[in-house]
Amino acid sequence: MSDNRDDKLDSMLRSRRIEAASPDLAARIILKAQSLPQVQNISLWHSVRQLFAEFHLPKPGYVLASALVLGMVVGFSTAPENSQLSEASSATAHSYIGGDEGLL
Amino acid sequence: MPAAWPEKDDHELLALIQDGSGQAFAALAERHTERFYRLAFRYLQNKAAAEDVVQDAFLKLWENPANWQPDRNSKFTTWFYRVVVNLCFDQRKRKGTVALDEDMPVIDDRAPVDETMMRAQEHRIFEKEIAALPARQRTALNLCFDEGLTNQEAAAVMGLSLKALQSLIMRAKTTLKERMKAYL
Repeated sequence: MSDNRDDKLDSMLRSRRIEAASPDLAARIILKAQSLPQVQNISLWHSVRQLFAEFHLPKPGYVLASALVLGMVVGFSTAPENSQLSEASSATAHSYIGGDEGLL
Repeated sequence: MPAAWPEKDDHELLALIQDGSGQAFAALAERHTERFYRLAFRYLQNKAAAEDVVQDAFLKLWENPANWQPDRNSKFTTWFYRVVVNLCFDQRKRKGTVALDEDMPVIDDRAPVDETMMRAQEHRIFEKEIAALPARQRTALNLCFDEGLTNQEAAAVMGLSLKALQSLIMRAKTTLKERMKAYL
């Protein structure tokens, strides 16, 4: 008796009915996916490379930038020693201009 | 779609999806939509809700293909069953208890009217009793009886040992036998 009930229950479990899905369900999912962007999983190394790529310059650009940096370094490192000299040359220039104004 | 797409296995398609291939995604969705809809319908007993869950599951896969990790997940369908079941749980939590769809077609044209009505009633009561089972017991039944998974596969989907799964099925069947004794 118990076996019969078990069999009947198994048969009921196996024969459960479902309402069929809409025939266009897969097509709807595919269509919707087309309008959604994918989130790319970017590794740390990849993101560092991308960051450097953002700052990519052509070779002459690197030469100019290096020259500018070198010039600034040299300029800053020598500025205090030549400050008196630059003041003196500035005073000479002022007197020269003043002389010109006197003539006018 | 190139002819080769349907011949590619799930893992090949997933690798292509991870490279952004919409065609691979289309092939995978066409292949598995029906199967996962059936599972979702078993839980939710509502066509629109089940379709929404399946759509959400596939769109999550498309948006975040890295969620699928072939080294961690042995089989796509096993992993995706789990995704769909989790979404069904979320849906049920949001919506509360499930009302059986009254429009669900249960009529068999070949049977006489009285028998048809009796079967329809029996079917409805049976579905209600299954819906009233604890979630894990219901999941175990759905996976083993409806989806045709082996106990081992169903245990893998649910993250359980084989013994624990067998115990869930036994308890579910005992409860159903008791509640459906008038029809058995």
